[in-house]
Formats: sequence, C-alpha cells, structure tokens
Amino acid sequence: MLVRRFPRAVGSLPVLVAFVREFFAARGIDSDQAFDVDLVLEELFTNMVRHARGGTSEIEVGLDDDGSLLTLRLRDEGVEPWDPAQAPLPGVDRPIQERRPGGLGIHFIRQLTCDLRFEHADGTTTVTAVLEVPR
Amino acid sequence: MFRLDAVGDGAVRLVGRLDGAEAERATASFAGLEGSIVADCSELDYISSAGIALVLVTLQRLNRLGHTFRLHPVQPRVRNVFKYSGLAQMLGIE
Repeated sequence: MLVRRFPRAVGSLPVLVAFVREFFAARGIDSDQAFDVDLVLEELFTNMVRHARGGTSEIEVGLDDDGSLLTLRLRDEGVEPWDPAQAPLPGVDRPIQERRPGGLGIHFIRQLTCDLRFEHADGTTTVTAVLEVPR
Repeated sequence: MFRLDAVGDGAVRLVGRLDGAEAERATASFAGLEGSIVADCSELDYISSAGIALVLVTLQRLNRLGHTFRLHPVQPRVRNVFKYSGLAQMLGIE
C-alpha cells in the first residue's frame, strides 16, 4: 500500500489528486479511470476535515490495488468516534425547493464502492473503501 | 482549477474541476447568475458533492424567481454524479 499524510484542510485536495495520479501511473492504470477514486477520496477526506472532532494536523491516506479492485484507506488519529454512515439521507427524491445541500457525499460513496467499512479504535478512525477500477 | 465564463445572452461555460476547494471560491460567481441560464459543461471535468450543492442552491434560487437553469452538454462521468444526486432531470441533463 502506498501511504502518505496530508494536512487536515480542504486545500489539500489538489495534492490528493496528484497522489492518485502518481499511484495510477506507477501501477500502469489509465488516469482516465481516476474520476470515481477522486470522488470517493474527496468525499471521505473532506468529511474528516469538516466533521471529525479533535484530530492531529494530518490525515493518512493509503492506496492499494490487486489488479481489479482498488482499496482506499484513510486513518484519522486523535478523533472521537465518528461514523458518516449515520448521516441523514440526502432525500434525492424530494421536490427541488425542499432539497438541502447536505448528505450527498456519503450517498455518492455508497453508489461507487463495493465495500465500505468504518472502524474506531484507540482514538483512530479508519475508513476503508473498495472500488472497481476498469482496465 | 475551475472557472465560470459568461458567454452572453444567458449562456455560461463551466470549465475545470469543481471540487470542495474550488466550490468555495466559485460561490460568488454562481450567486451572480441572473435570468434563465444554459451552462455548457463540455469542459467540466469533475464535480463533487460541494459543487453539486452549489448547483442545487443556484437552481433553487433561479427557479424561485421563475427562471430555469440547464446544463448542456455534460460529460458522461459528471452526468453520472448529477444522476446520483437526483438533479439530472431538473437540470435538463439527458
């Protein structure tokens, strides 16, 4: 697994994209297939930045690939237990004027992953997401 | 990077990546849209929930004023995100 730490800030998003491209290039995966990985990673990372209480100054991100499935792992240290899966559903079928711009991130993650796990132990939240990446 | 270009007569062009960082910077540009708008998204390469939220708020505001907000054309992967969000039909995305 390729692992790196990133400042706990939305401003880290461009370097997260560069990290994904670096991983794709090293594994010989076409970068045109990075869209879903970028989206799941952004939604998980920004959820940690915006909603996790406490936390160190950096969040660890890991990428791994077995030839068909790509695994994303985010580790957030020094935080209170937090599970975005408990977030309210975004109500995508509600009339447009009743819609609220929240909860879509975890909804997208559920749409794009084939496995999603949240664990919390010893003050560290670990999120593992598995995606199919076409070759 | 993301930018919103006005091309005149209710037409705009969305270009680049509308992620969480860029959406914060783009809020004023979307808030400045007036009247019925057609947005060319052929060069919009990426959008996340933060960008979708910006589009949703803009759609709601323009609709309340009796205007429409349409996105056309839209790249396939960006179109999928709008479909997941439940906004595709309201934005005229096929």
